[in-house]
Amino acid sequence: MAEKTTKGLMDAARFAVLADAYGSALHRWPQAEQAAATLFAETNQGRAILRRAGRLDAVLDRHRVEAPSPALYGAIVARATADVRQGRRRRFWWLGFGLAGVGLAGAVAGLALVTVVNPDIQSDHYVMDANATSFGDAGPDADQTEEDL
Amino acid sequence: MGADPDEELVRRIGAGDPAAVQAMVARKLPRVLGLARRMLGDAAEAEDVAQETFVRIWRHASGWRWKGARFDTWVHRVALNLCYDRLRRRREWVTDELPEVADETPLPDALPGDEERRVSQALQRIAPRQREAIVLVYYQDLSNIEAASAMRVSVDALESLLARGRRALQAMLVGDDGDD
Repeated sequence: MAEKTTKGLMDAARFAVLADAYGSALHRWPQAEQAAATLFAETNQGRAILRRAGRLDAVLDRHRVEAPSPALYGAIVARATADVRQGRRRRFWWLGFGLAGVGLAGAVAGLALVTVVNPDIQSDHYVMDANATSFGDAGPDADQTEEDL
Repeated sequence: MGADPDEELVRRIGAGDPAAVQAMVARKLPRVLGLARRMLGDAAEAEDVAQETFVRIWRHASGWRWKGARFDTWVHRVALNLCYDRLRRRREWVTDELPEVADETPLPDALPGDEERRVSQALQRIAPRQREAIVLVYYQDLSNIEAASAMRVSVDALESLLARGRRALQAMLVGDDGDD
């Protein structure tokens, strides 16, 4: 998005092109061409081109937008306060999850290290199956001699 | 293009500063509302767009970083996207595409005090991209580079849209007596 630069004088054709696009107020014109345009604007040709562009500008200036109502301002600020607070809370939770994740990763790494260093440690836990109870195997396939009595 | 005048305010919003939130609304709401009002030609829809634009500002403020384009330009881009969503919704039952050709039939002469509505109607009758260019440069006072950046076009393309849009408005609002 490079801007054209006008070194020195501007010709009438370029001045007219810019007036067609940007209107009669030179402050809206491309910054790099404003100095040359200001010089040309002092000429009769320049004045005529700006006068023509200024007619449309005068009409466009009649379109004004009313200032935002206090109700709209209040609604946006109220929503913003809630959103910003929620955003901070969300960041806090993500920080918590992050710390928990780091802790969990450390535990996993530690377990992996112990497994690698001492792989012969056998688990001595008892695997409960679906039929097991604290009284032993009392499921449907258990010894039914007592029930048969 | 110097440092971004909004950068500090955006940083404070990202840090959750309520005073910065209020300052940002006071600074940007008139601009966003003006943009949406002129793009859509409807006060109620413009207020909706303004509210949605600020929701996006709060959501993205903490992650926003200055990368050449100003925060104000980004805000304009967000508001314009929301305006286009609404313009498409209005026309989707007629056509999928927004018209590129303006209806340049001269508008009837305005009664005293009715000029503003006449200008608003004329703005709605030109092609949306031409309207967008004129609103950004003429009414929002964005520089040509900022406006081109917000529209994602080259400066030459922006100037072409501006010139075509102004010619169409000239035909509708001023007539041929615009020529000397």
